[in-house]
Amino acid sequence: MAETVVEPKVEVALETPWNVVVHNDPVNLMSYVTMVFQKVFGYSKQKAQQHMLEVHYKGRSIVWTGARERAEFYLQQLHGYLLLATLEKAE
Amino acid sequence: MLIRRLKENSIELTDIEPIEAELLRKVPSVCDPGGDSRAEARLFSSPADSSERQFLSDWDEYVRPELRHLFLSARQTVEEDLRKLSDRPGRPGRLIVPCAHGDAWLNTLNQARLILASKFDFTDEELSVHEPPQSFSRRDLVLLQINFYAAIQERIIDAMNGEDEE
Repeated sequence: MAETVVEPKVEVALETPWNVVVHNDPVNLMSYVTMVFQKVFGYSKQKAQQHMLEVHYKGRSIVWTGARERAEFYLQQLHGYLLLATLEKAE
Repeated sequence: MLIRRLKENSIELTDIEPIEAELLRKVPSVCDPGGDSRAEARLFSSPADSSERQFLSDWDEYVRPELRHLFLSARQTVEEDLRKLSDRPGRPGRLIVPCAHGDAWLNTLNQARLILASKFDFTDEELSVHEPPQSFSRRDLVLLQINFYAAIQERIIDAMNGEDEE
Protein backbone atom coordinates (compact mmCIF):
# COMPACT_ATOMS: atom_id res chain seq x y z
CA MET A 1 0.00 0.00 0.00
CA ALA A 2 1.30 3.29 -0.92
CA GLU A 3 2.12 5.41 2.00
CA THR A 4 0.52 8.77 2.07
CA VAL A 5 2.97 11.41 2.92
CA VAL A 6 1.40 14.34 4.57
CA GLU A 7 3.51 17.34 4.20
CA PRO A 8 3.60 19.49 7.28
CA LYS A 9 1.65 22.66 6.81
CA VAL A 10 4.00 25.50 7.04
CA GLU A 11 2.36 28.59 8.28
CA VAL A 12 4.19 31.75 7.62
CA ALA A 13 3.18 34.10 10.29
CA LEU A 14 3.59 37.40 8.60
CA GLU A 15 3.66 40.16 11.12
CA THR A 16 1.02 42.78 10.52
CA PRO A 17 2.71 46.01 9.58
CA TRP A 18 1.87 49.14 11.52
CA ASN A 19 1.86 52.73 10.40
CA VAL A 20 3.24 55.62 12.38
CA VAL A 21 1.09 58.58 11.41
CA VAL A 22 1.84 62.23 12.12
CA HIS A 23 -1.10 64.65 12.15
CA ASN A 24 -1.20 68.34 11.37
CA ASP A 25 -0.87 70.77 14.21
CA PRO A 26 -0.99 74.55 13.71
CA VAL A 27 1.51 75.20 16.50
CA ASN A 28 4.47 73.04 15.51
CA LEU A 29 6.73 74.86 13.09
CA MET A 30 7.46 73.38 9.66
CA SER A 31 11.19 73.63 10.24
CA TYR A 32 10.81 71.93 13.64
CA VAL A 33 8.76 69.04 12.21
CA THR A 34 11.34 68.55 9.44
CA MET A 35 14.14 68.52 12.00
CA VAL A 36 12.29 65.96 14.14
CA PHE A 37 11.79 63.59 11.18
CA GLN A 38 15.47 63.81 10.40
CA LYS A 39 16.44 63.08 14.00
CA VAL A 40 13.95 60.31 14.74
CA PHE A 41 14.04 58.40 11.44
CA GLY A 42 17.39 59.53 10.07
CA TYR A 43 15.65 60.81 6.94
CA SER A 44 17.40 63.12 4.51
CA LYS A 45 16.28 66.74 4.66
CA GLN A 46 14.42 66.26 1.37
CA LYS A 47 12.49 63.19 2.54
CA ALA A 48 11.75 64.82 5.90
CA GLN A 49 10.42 67.91 4.13
CA GLN A 50 8.21 65.79 1.87
CA HIS A 51 6.57 64.20 4.91
CA MET A 52 6.29 67.57 6.65
CA LEU A 53 4.55 69.07 3.61
CA GLU A 54 2.21 66.08 3.43
CA VAL A 55 1.29 66.65 7.07
CA HIS A 56 0.81 70.35 6.42
CA TYR A 57 -1.31 70.10 3.28
CA LYS A 58 -3.08 66.77 3.67
CA GLY A 59 -3.46 66.78 7.43
CA ARG A 60 -1.47 63.59 8.00
CA SER A 61 1.44 61.58 6.74
CA ILE A 62 2.44 57.95 7.23
CA VAL A 63 6.01 58.56 8.25
CA TRP A 64 7.03 54.95 8.85
CA THR A 65 5.60 51.45 8.39
CA GLY A 66 6.88 48.24 9.92
CA ALA A 67 6.95 46.00 12.96
CA ARG A 68 4.81 46.97 15.91
CA GLU A 69 7.58 47.17 18.48
CA ARG A 70 9.65 49.53 16.36
CA ALA A 71 6.57 51.58 15.54
CA GLU A 72 5.87 52.02 19.26
CA PHE A 73 9.45 53.13 19.79
CA TYR A 74 9.17 55.78 17.06
CA LEU A 75 5.81 56.87 18.40
CA GLN A 76 7.29 57.49 21.82
CA GLN A 77 10.11 59.53 20.26
CA LEU A 78 7.65 61.68 18.29
CA HIS A 79 5.55 62.33 21.40
CA GLY A 80 8.74 63.33 23.17
CA TYR A 81 9.07 66.06 20.53
CA LEU A 82 5.41 66.96 21.10
CA LEU A 83 4.20 65.98 17.64
CA LEU A 84 0.68 64.63 17.22
CA ALA A 85 1.42 61.04 16.26
CA THR A 86 -0.61 57.85 16.30
CA LEU A 87 -0.22 54.16 15.59
CA GLU A 88 -2.52 52.39 13.17
CA LYS A 89 -2.67 49.05 11.42
CA ALA A 90 -1.40 49.25 7.84
CA GLU A 91 -4.00 48.28 5.26
CA MET B 1 17.61 90.25 19.71
CA LEU B 2 20.14 88.43 17.58
CA ILE B 3 20.68 84.68 17.69
CA ARG B 4 23.71 83.06 16.11
CA ARG B 5 25.88 80.00 16.36
CA LEU B 6 29.35 80.46 17.83
CA LYS B 7 32.27 78.27 16.89
CA GLU B 8 32.65 76.87 20.39
CA ASN B 9 29.47 74.77 20.06
CA SER B 10 27.20 77.31 21.57
CA ILE B 11 24.39 79.60 20.57
CA GLU B 12 24.60 83.27 21.43
CA LEU B 13 21.57 85.45 22.09
CA THR B 14 22.60 89.10 22.09
CA ASP B 15 20.96 92.52 22.16
CA ILE B 16 18.17 91.12 24.32
CA GLU B 17 15.78 93.96 25.10
CA PRO B 18 14.23 94.07 28.61
CA ILE B 19 10.81 92.98 27.32
CA GLU B 20 12.44 90.07 25.48
CA ALA B 21 14.36 89.09 28.60
CA GLU B 22 11.13 89.12 30.55
CA LEU B 23 9.38 86.91 28.01
CA LEU B 24 12.32 84.53 27.97
CA ARG B 25 12.30 84.26 31.75
CA LYS B 26 8.61 83.42 31.63
CA VAL B 27 9.15 80.35 29.42
CA PRO B 28 9.62 77.75 32.20
CA SER B 29 6.61 78.95 34.18
CA VAL B 30 4.41 79.10 31.08
CA CYS B 31 5.20 75.41 30.61
CA ASP B 32 3.26 74.49 33.71
CA PRO B 33 -0.20 73.42 32.48
CA GLY B 34 -1.52 74.38 35.92
CA GLY B 35 -4.23 71.74 35.85
CA ASP B 36 -5.67 72.99 32.55
CA SER B 37 -7.15 69.89 30.95
CA ARG B 38 -6.79 71.22 27.37
CA ALA B 39 -3.09 71.90 27.88
CA GLU B 40 -2.59 68.48 29.51
CA ALA B 41 -4.42 66.80 26.65
CA ARG B 42 -2.19 68.52 24.09
CA LEU B 43 1.06 67.74 25.91
CA PHE B 44 0.03 64.12 26.34
CA SER B 45 -1.96 63.41 23.20
CA SER B 46 -3.42 59.97 22.56
CA PRO B 47 -1.09 57.63 20.62
CA ALA B 48 -3.88 55.46 19.14
CA ASP B 49 -7.65 55.18 18.80
CA SER B 50 -9.80 53.66 21.53
CA SER B 51 -9.72 50.18 19.96
CA GLU B 52 -6.15 49.83 21.25
CA ARG B 53 -7.29 49.58 24.85
CA GLN B 54 -4.36 47.62 26.27
CA PHE B 55 -1.81 49.71 24.42
CA LEU B 56 -3.38 52.94 25.68
CA SER B 57 -3.41 51.61 29.22
CA ASP B 58 0.27 50.59 29.01
CA TRP B 59 1.11 53.97 27.47
CA ASP B 60 -0.52 55.81 30.35
CA GLU B 61 1.24 53.64 32.89
CA TYR B 62 4.77 53.53 31.44
CA VAL B 63 5.30 56.08 28.67
CA ARG B 64 3.40 59.07 30.00
CA PRO B 65 5.50 59.37 33.19
CA GLU B 66 8.64 59.19 31.04
CA LEU B 67 7.34 61.96 28.79
CA ARG B 68 6.45 64.06 31.83
CA HIS B 69 9.98 63.57 33.13
CA LEU B 70 11.46 64.48 29.73
CA PHE B 71 9.44 67.70 29.50
CA LEU B 72 10.30 68.68 33.06
CA SER B 73 13.98 67.96 32.53
CA ALA B 74 14.02 70.15 29.39
CA ARG B 75 12.38 72.97 31.34
CA GLN B 76 14.93 72.69 34.12
CA THR B 77 17.78 72.92 31.60
CA VAL B 78 16.29 76.11 30.15
CA GLU B 79 15.70 77.51 33.63
CA GLU B 80 19.35 76.91 34.52
CA ASP B 81 20.54 78.59 31.31
CA LEU B 82 18.26 81.56 31.90
CA ARG B 83 19.87 82.20 35.30
CA LYS B 84 22.97 83.22 33.32
CA LEU B 85 21.08 85.82 31.29
CA SER B 86 22.91 89.06 31.90
CA ASP B 87 20.79 92.14 31.53
CA ARG B 88 21.88 95.11 33.54
CA PRO B 89 19.45 98.02 33.55
CA GLY B 90 19.87 100.17 30.46
CA ARG B 91 21.92 97.56 28.65
CA PRO B 92 20.75 94.86 26.26
CA GLY B 93 21.12 91.36 27.61
CA ARG B 94 23.25 88.45 26.46
CA LEU B 95 22.87 84.72 26.90
CA ILE B 96 25.04 81.80 25.83
CA VAL B 97 23.30 78.46 25.34
CA PRO B 98 25.43 75.35 24.77
CA CYS B 99 24.42 73.55 21.56
CA ALA B 100 23.94 70.44 23.71
CA HIS B 101 20.99 72.28 25.30
CA GLY B 102 19.46 73.13 21.93
CA ASP B 103 16.96 70.25 22.00
CA ALA B 104 15.87 71.20 25.52
CA TRP B 105 15.28 74.78 24.36
CA LEU B 106 13.28 73.72 21.31
CA ASN B 107 11.25 71.31 23.40
CA THR B 108 10.55 73.86 26.12
CA LEU B 109 9.62 76.62 23.70
CA ASN B 110 7.30 74.14 22.02
CA GLN B 111 5.72 73.23 25.34
CA ALA B 112 5.17 76.92 26.07
CA ARG B 113 3.58 77.59 22.68
CA LEU B 114 1.37 74.50 22.78
CA ILE B 115 0.17 75.25 26.28
CA LEU B 116 -0.60 78.90 25.53
CA ALA B 117 -2.38 77.95 22.29
CA SER B 118 -4.45 75.31 24.12
CA LYS B 119 -5.31 77.49 27.11
CA PHE B 120 -6.44 80.37 24.91
CA ASP B 121 -8.04 78.10 22.36
CA PHE B 122 -6.46 79.76 19.32
CA THR B 123 -7.76 78.68 15.94
CA ASP B 124 -5.51 77.57 13.07
CA GLU B 125 -6.33 80.83 11.32
CA GLU B 126 -5.32 82.98 14.29
CA LEU B 127 -2.06 81.09 14.68
CA SER B 128 -1.15 81.65 11.04
CA VAL B 129 -1.57 85.42 11.28
CA HIS B 130 1.68 87.28 11.76
CA GLU B 131 0.42 90.83 11.58
CA PRO B 132 0.34 93.38 14.38
CA PRO B 133 -2.85 92.97 16.40
CA GLN B 134 -5.73 95.43 16.00
CA SER B 135 -6.15 95.73 19.74
CA PHE B 136 -4.03 94.82 22.73
CA SER B 137 -6.28 92.46 24.60
CA ARG B 138 -4.70 89.76 26.74
CA ARG B 139 -5.48 87.30 23.97
CA ASP B 140 -3.65 89.43 21.37
CA LEU B 141 -0.63 89.73 23.62
CA VAL B 142 -0.53 85.97 24.19
CA LEU B 143 -0.56 85.48 20.42
CA LEU B 144 2.42 87.83 20.17
CA GLN B 145 4.13 85.81 22.91
CA ILE B 146 3.51 82.57 20.97
CA ASN B 147 4.93 84.12 17.81
CA PHE B 148 7.93 85.51 19.70
CA TYR B 149 8.75 82.02 20.99
CA ALA B 150 8.24 80.64 17.47
CA ALA B 151 10.76 83.13 16.07
CA ILE B 152 13.32 82.06 18.68
CA GLN B 153 12.69 78.41 17.83
CA GLU B 154 13.30 79.14 14.14
CA ARG B 155 16.57 80.90 14.88
CA ILE B 156 17.76 78.16 17.22
CA ILE B 157 17.01 75.55 14.53
CA ASP B 158 19.02 77.64 12.03
CA ALA B 159 21.85 77.98 14.52
CA MET B 160 21.85 74.24 15.27
CA ASN B 161 21.95 73.51 11.56
CA GLY B 162 25.09 75.58 11.41
CA GLU B 163 23.63 78.51 9.55
CA ASP B 164 24.90 81.97 10.47
CA GLU B 165 27.99 80.50 12.08
CA GLU B 166 30.39 83.08 13.47
